[in-house]
Amino acid sequence: MFGFLKGLKVTFAQLTHKKVTLMYPDEMPDFGERFRGVHKFSPEKCIVCNQCARVCPTSCISLSGSRGGDKKLHIDTYDINFEICILCDLCTEVCPTEAIQMTDTFELATYNRVDLYKNMFWLDDNRKKTEGILEHDASSFGGEK
Amino acid sequence: MFSWLDKPMELSTFLNMALGGVVVLAFILGVVTYTIYFERKIIGWMQWRIGPNRVGPLGLFQTIADVLKLLIKEDVIPAKADRNVFMIAPIIAFFPSFMVLAIIPFSATHIFTAASNVGVLYYIALSAMSILGVVLGGWASNNKYSLIGGMRSAAQMISYEVPLAMSMLGVVLLAGSLNLVEIVEQQKDFPYVWYIVPQALGFVIFIISAIAELNRTPFDLPEAESELVGGYFTEYTGFRFAFYMLAEYVYVFAMSALGTTLFLGGWEGPFLPGWLWFAIKVSAFIFFFFWVRATMPRIRTDQLLVFSWKVLIPLSLLNLVLTAVLKYLI
Repeated sequence: MFGFLKGLKVTFAQLTHKKVTLMYPDEMPDFGERFRGVHKFSPEKCIVCNQCARVCPTSCISLSGSRGGDKKLHIDTYDINFEICILCDLCTEVCPTEAIQMTDTFELATYNRVDLYKNMFWLDDNRKKTEGILEHDASSFGGEK
Repeated sequence: MFSWLDKPMELSTFLNMALGGVVVLAFILGVVTYTIYFERKIIGWMQWRIGPNRVGPLGLFQTIADVLKLLIKEDVIPAKADRNVFMIAPIIAFFPSFMVLAIIPFSATHIFTAASNVGVLYYIALSAMSILGVVLGGWASNNKYSLIGGMRSAAQMISYEVPLAMSMLGVVLLAGSLNLVEIVEQQKDFPYVWYIVPQALGFVIFIISAIAELNRTPFDLPEAESELVGGYFTEYTGFRFAFYMLAEYVYVFAMSALGTTLFLGGWEGPFLPGWLWFAIKVSAFIFFFFWVRATMPRIRTDQLLVFSWKVLIPLSLLNLVLTAVLKYLI
């Protein structure tokens, strides 16, 4: 009986306690240094070594390159399938030139599965957005509409 | 103004009655809407959350949006269900909850509600009919979990109906009347105390059995979705499910209003108008229900029935005998 009253007292005291809810879409959470969000990609750094595609446990990365006039490999296509990507960070660990890296973007919800295939240009735009070169536009997260 | 008992049934009388019914229905729908909103807010605050705040200013339209969602959802009736009973069961569960409001004296000038001489009896008799809606809903779904859930709810509600009624009898003995208006008027006479003081034990029993009767935590076994497969409304969707929920929240208001009338002096109070006192007391009652919900864990089924039959009923009998003896001596 007294335990019950004590419990009531405890819950009543919580009424005025400071709320811990983060108003998420209005207010972004503070991400840690090593947060693993959607990748960003710098095409000019990539040497087409294919290590990221080989290390990827879900085989969600596919890329192709060609040799240019300067005898170096240049990236032609770079696609990540975010339907199966598990954001494990292995591709960025293995990348010798840090061409592929993680960002704190994570809002990938779309109405269409096709939108989850992200190509080189989208990933490069993601880099520019996180580095503040391009304007952040919330509607562009879910792919092109 | 609205004395219908001693007049012949004319068209104008009938229209008055219909208007009264519509006004009370509109009123109760508003009350239920914001009861649900405040329940979510208060429990949120007690858990360091904010609660609904996205739909409308301060989230005030949250419940309206929820109800709208329920209304436009598909109304599924299982193929093997007893179709007619399945469709009518939520209505059977709801209509007594609305009808009991007919005898609640909202204010001294009780507009639209009857000062019936058997008010308490009427309340107990009608509220017992909701059990029928619950059992029929569980049975007609043709689902063994629903059936078991319906039986479980019926066992709980019948068990707690007994101490609830007996705790009310103490007040009836003191007031010497089953008329709710009369009971309120008695509480303002000598010795100028509400019946919560001489009937403290009865009040505690009333609160406990009221919470159990309303299927609220810690007695919300009929709604234990994660542990006990929902219960009688497992197969219900859309607005039929909404009807069960509506019945439940109307009962929250009705039970609070009844408790206010019986134990807290109804509309009586200094300075403020009667309807405001009534609203304040009912809100305090409803707040207490939410408060308990945020505090207590769910009770076990066997403990639930044992608590009713071995603790509450003997206690309420004791309360009844003590009240009778003291009333005789004084």
